[in-house]
Amino acid sequence: MAEPALALVQSSPSPARAQIAFDNVALMLGGKAIINTISLDVAAGEILCVVGASGCGKTTALRLAAGLYQPTGGSVRFEGEAMRAPRREIAVVFQDYGKALLPWRTAAGNISLALETIGMPSAQREARITELLAKVGLAGHAAKYPTEMSGGMQQRLQIARCLAQDPKVLLMDEPFGALDAMTRQGLQDEMLALVASTGATVVFVTHDLEEAIYLGDRVIGLLPHPGRVGLELKIDLPRPRDQLATREHPEFLRLRRALFDFIKASE
Amino acid sequence: MRWSVLGWRLASFAVAAGIIALWQLAANQRLISPVFLPGPDRAWASLMRGFTSGDLLTKLMGTLTHMAYGWLLASIAGVALGAMIGSSKAMRIYVAPTLELLRPLPVSAIIPVAIAALGLSQGMALFVIAFGSLWPMLLGTVHGFAAVEPRLYEVARVLHMSRLAVIFKIALPSAAPDILAGMRLSLTVALILAVVCEMLAGLDGLGQWVLLSARSFRSADLFAGVMLLGVIGYVTALAMGAAESRLLRWQAARR
Repeated sequence: MAEPALALVQSSPSPARAQIAFDNVALMLGGKAIINTISLDVAAGEILCVVGASGCGKTTALRLAAGLYQPTGGSVRFEGEAMRAPRREIAVVFQDYGKALLPWRTAAGNISLALETIGMPSAQREARITELLAKVGLAGHAAKYPTEMSGGMQQRLQIARCLAQDPKVLLMDEPFGALDAMTRQGLQDEMLALVASTGATVVFVTHDLEEAIYLGDRVIGLLPHPGRVGLELKIDLPRPRDQLATREHPEFLRLRRALFDFIKASE
Repeated sequence: MRWSVLGWRLASFAVAAGIIALWQLAANQRLISPVFLPGPDRAWASLMRGFTSGDLLTKLMGTLTHMAYGWLLASIAGVALGAMIGSSKAMRIYVAPTLELLRPLPVSAIIPVAIAALGLSQGMALFVIAFGSLWPMLLGTVHGFAAVEPRLYEVARVLHMSRLAVIFKIALPSAAPDILAGMRLSLTVALILAVVCEMLAGLDGLGQWVLLSARSFRSADLFAGVMLLGVIGYVTALAMGAAESRLLRWQAARR
């Protein structure tokens, strides 16, 4: 079987336009190369999906972009500036919503945490909380504790808390991975609508290949041991995307085939 | 449902009433000499007399004050120290052996040391009560701080929360169940030590009242004092339980 997909593809860095730029990024953890090397540009407003076999460093790459890890080689830049620490313009949606929410705060309280931290006066908070809850479809659930909510609602709440930061970038680490198929599809569409209205850049890590194609403007496939870019697909599917029409589109099926072949070959 | 709750409540009161009735019966039958065992009637009368014409109220307030000051001091010190130790791995490693050495030390062994250093004073009582009731809170806080979900610290980093905000908005609330459990245990320890200190140092309080009554064979007074101590223990535990369930409402939501 021919393996054109495995040809090493590196997008050429163009720091002028890139909002997030990975420049020959390498990461060693405990003497082991986790990532070696990734060069990658993410343009403002782009939705970039990252897929790859487990252990390929998808999540690690996302944490590097968030500033939660520092690269041991190369550099990660945000709007031309080296990332030394997490920044408020970059919000992170964690996969494990149950752990990322404060169980002792209600839905409103969890959103308030972000608003308190950005220094919003308490008089303005309530209106903003109501607005954000409505935006993610949680109007009327302000007084509920996270443990009283379903998984989908909890993840919506985490997204609302991230939006409260007014982020320029949303980094999402398999945000819908733990949800059932119906909930996941609903949230995919809601997320696309939210992102379209805020114009935020999204880096979306997932192990669901169809989800990556459905959501992304571009899909990056990582190769494992050590993590590096193995495939880059431009997704030219019409927007707004539609759960049925988009997934039946011949281009969707072609991309899906290419991505499956890549993952199969990389394992 | 409500009726069955009421039924159980009634049954539990019936048990208590039955025990008091047995006690009255034993006293009336003089199974034990009235010098040593007064009936509930005599104990109650003595209790009333103590409050109306005696200084039982002063003694009660004395014990409550000793208990409260020692417990509060221990709470503040325990939570502050526990937060310091629990939030730093290096501190835990350095301090853990010392804590393990001090913790199992019987507080009764500390009392002579405290008396030698501080005399038979209120300060000595404060020190002993605080020292004894420090441990459950200290260890609870250390554990609570060490067990904070690491993901929440990452959320704090992404949000750029200040160190102080992380402690007050994430670590403390997360550790609250452990801290409150420690405070509840400490409450009992504080009461015990308040009584012991009053007995040993002759400080104004129920401990001294009970000891002096026993020595002069005033068994009714003795029992009145003991009953009052039981009430203190019961009421403080009840108050603590109410505070706990109010502060930890979010945990009830989990179930």
